[in-house]
Amino acid sequence: MADPVVLALIVPLCPLAAFALTWLLARGRPAAGAALSLAAIAVSFVLSAVLLWGQVQAPSGIQADIPWMPAGRIVISMGILLNPLSALMLVIVTGVSLLVQIYSLGYMKGDRGFARFFSYLSLFSFSMLTLVLADNFILLYMAWELVGLCSYLLIGFWYEKPEAARAAKKAFVVTRVGDLGFLVGILVLSLLAGTFDFAGVARFVGAGSVPQGQVTLIVLLLFCGAVGKSGQFPLHVWLPDAMEGPTPVSALIHSATMVAAGVFMVARLYGIFQASADALRVVAGLGAFTAVFAAAIALAQDDIKRILAYSTISQLGYMMLALGVGGYGSGLFHLTTHAAFKTLLFLGAGSVIHAVGTNDIRHMGGLGRRMPVTAVTFGVAVLAIAGIFPLSGFWSKDGILEAVRAGGHPVLYAVALGTVFITAVYMSRLFFLVFSGARRGDAPPHESPPVMTVPLLILAVLAAGLGLLGSPWLGKGIHELLDPAASRPALDIGLLLLSNGLAAAGILLSFVLFGRTTAAHAAPGRRAGTLYSLLANKFYIDELYLLLIRGLFFTVTAAVAWFDRHIVDGTVNLVGGASKRGGALLRRTLVGKVQGYALIVTCGVLAALAILLAGSLGLLGPGLFGPGGTGQ
Amino acid sequence: MTLTLTHYLVLAALLFCLGVYGAITRKNAIGILMALELVFNAVNLTLVAAGRFRPQSDGVGQLFALFVIAAAAAESVLGLAIILAIYRRRVVVNADEMDLMKN
Amino acid sequence: MAEMILFYALAALLLLSAGLVVTVRNIFHAALYLALALFAVAALYVMLGAYFLAAMQVLIYIGAVVVLAIFVINLTRTVTGAPVTLTRRWVIPAALVSALTASLIIVALLKSAGPAGAAPDGAADPAVQGSAAANAAAQGTAAALGRHLLGDFVLPFELVSVLLLSALIAAIVIVGKDREEEK
Repeated sequence: MADPVVLALIVPLCPLAAFALTWLLARGRPAAGAALSLAAIAVSFVLSAVLLWGQVQAPSGIQADIPWMPAGRIVISMGILLNPLSALMLVIVTGVSLLVQIYSLGYMKGDRGFARFFSYLSLFSFSMLTLVLADNFILLYMAWELVGLCSYLLIGFWYEKPEAARAAKKAFVVTRVGDLGFLVGILVLSLLAGTFDFAGVARFVGAGSVPQGQVTLIVLLLFCGAVGKSGQFPLHVWLPDAMEGPTPVSALIHSATMVAAGVFMVARLYGIFQASADALRVVAGLGAFTAVFAAAIALAQDDIKRILAYSTISQLGYMMLALGVGGYGSGLFHLTTHAAFKTLLFLGAGSVIHAVGTNDIRHMGGLGRRMPVTAVTFGVAVLAIAGIFPLSGFWSKDGILEAVRAGGHPVLYAVALGTVFITAVYMSRLFFLVFSGARRGDAPPHESPPVMTVPLLILAVLAAGLGLLGSPWLGKGIHELLDPAASRPALDIGLLLLSNGLAAAGILLSFVLFGRTTAAHAAPGRRAGTLYSLLANKFYIDELYLLLIRGLFFTVTAAVAWFDRHIVDGTVNLVGGASKRGGALLRRTLVGKVQGYALIVTCGVLAALAILLAGSLGLLGPGLFGPGGTGQ
Repeated sequence: MTLTLTHYLVLAALLFCLGVYGAITRKNAIGILMALELVFNAVNLTLVAAGRFRPQSDGVGQLFALFVIAAAAAESVLGLAIILAIYRRRVVVNADEMDLMKN
Repeated sequence: MAEMILFYALAALLLLSAGLVVTVRNIFHAALYLALALFAVAALYVMLGAYFLAAMQVLIYIGAVVVLAIFVINLTRTVTGAPVTLTRRWVIPAALVSALTASLIIVALLKSAGPAGAAPDGAADPAVQGSAAANAAAQGTAAALGRHLLGDFVLPFELVSVLLLSALIAAIVIVGKDREEEK
């Protein structure tokens, strides 16, 4: 078998090459662009699978780097760290990317920017893969930012649409806020540790030379980046708006990969995070809150993609919760299963949107008969996300619940269980309103072409079967792979019944309310109580932020602008004005009156006399006209 | 206290400054010339006094003062001639109004 | 002692009349006061032993220049004979500046003088003074000055005569020209 380092290097470089080639040569030729991109990602996928297999057989951490830039006493190096975690992520990223790109062949067909789309997808793949392989903070941050850039480019892909442009900007700015904290944390930590690479920093933190309070602060700063990227409260506001981008983008980036980068980062730096129990508590609490918060909002949304967006936020909260309570393997397992069923959900939604031309579920309904493949696969995904046995979602979600309970966090446990119920309700509501009941729209829908449905099928199989990796029936599962020291959670029948019971109750409730809907039934405003409007308006968080920005930011900028205009410019104008006025003043002496001139001459003589006298008296310091030197 | 050079020099300084004051202040052109005469006289006084208190100067101070008188006389004559000429042209004798050099 | 009183008296006369020269409104009166001041200066010259110079002062300055000034005053008097007012504008700055200049010069003089106001060169020594006085008297005569004029200082002497000649011609030209044009 070839050197894993070489293989690992090829994995991100293939999509990079595809991006460059497409941009330079094939921008006007859709077929060529797509072909390049697909070929590259396929190669990367295969190589990733090989690497993962290698890690499964012999889990090890392989690191290779080259010194890149000496900066003072620190040498920044560029390198890769290949361990089970990165190998797993490589497969997830390349796999989902591959499926999404195949799907896009059908979805984006005929679009003016077809080749541009695929080039962006390749660029994104490169960035995300680099992020996953990075072995030091600098490379991680660079890839982090690059991923953010790709998100911006892809959300605003249809840039003529003002909402899309606005959403892209919002995404970039909001994640920037998180990235700022991240950067500060990186710099402080690395400068304290004297190095930027993970191993060195982990060693430093482990040595315990930094006081606990500072460690907590640093960890929280690092966590800021994850909060932004993974859409945790309060930086979650960009994700729902990001749905303005094409659906394949939402599937790839905003469900399976980029938003998972935050979770990945926490996992990657878990050693550092574990140094501060307080920080981990914050992570867990925030995750739990975000989970229930987003789930509640999803209940009252009517845009199919927005519901899924809030669902993503909620599930990411679950993953953060898991990591916060110490369930390293469970959190990452959920990341894996979520990648499968969330991508499936988004691609299915895309299929629906492609067919009926709208995102509003109030105008859908009864599509199940006309789009069977989509409906069935979508249904599988819904059951998976609700956590129904024996689908993948059950295994990963129950793993998290188990970890929370074992960790002794009753409040978080209750919140997590509640969220299970709410998740079931809103997901099944979505399903029923879209696929069952009477048809409420106009255009007769059709099933999507195979190029779109085949990926759906593949994902459905994964969504159903991935659970095996975490089940007790597999000799060595995902948990052992990721964390050899941890033990795999056993199958807890009690918990199974509890979680499945809640989920089933949710689905049932949904069926009762939305199962056989008529046009009137689905219209809101009928049950529009204050709670409903609060949820439907996302708790008015966006409006709050806008107010804050207007109030605070613009006040400050207005003050600064005033300062600049009046004081800075004023000073400059003052100098100019003073020169002008001084000149005008002096001009008055040139009046032509000789006596005036005489007066001025006398003044000059006076001044000269004064200086000479002062000098000779020593008032101007020794030496200047000398003390007593000139005499009279 | 005996009379010393300083006495004379102080007197001359005061006279000089009076003359300068007059030269600047006087409106009538002839008045200006007269003030300038005071200045010349102050200078002469200085010269003569200095010569007097420095025996080795051998009368040069007075000689110099003589030359100054000659030059001052010449200057006064010409100044008055010019004033007369201007008066004839423009019936003006006030320095204020003789401002052809303006700006 | 008598010398001191004489000096102070003459100084007071000089300064007083000079002050009047520069301040009186009537220009004719100013001219007369100028004559008085010049007389005082001549007296001072005599005190300093410059006899010939004193004579010249009276002859030339008072006898010619002041008289000439009076002529021109008469010739340029306005028809109505109304007295002209002094300019107020420059008065304060001029007074200030000249006062300051005077003070500075006096300060400088006093500083450079030795104790008891003696000039450098030991002129305070009565013996030196006495001989100096005699010396100055001897040097102040016409003969002594004449010896200088035709001896070491011949060149300035000739130049001054050229100067006087050109002044003469120029005055005639300036004043005479107008008269010809009027015709």
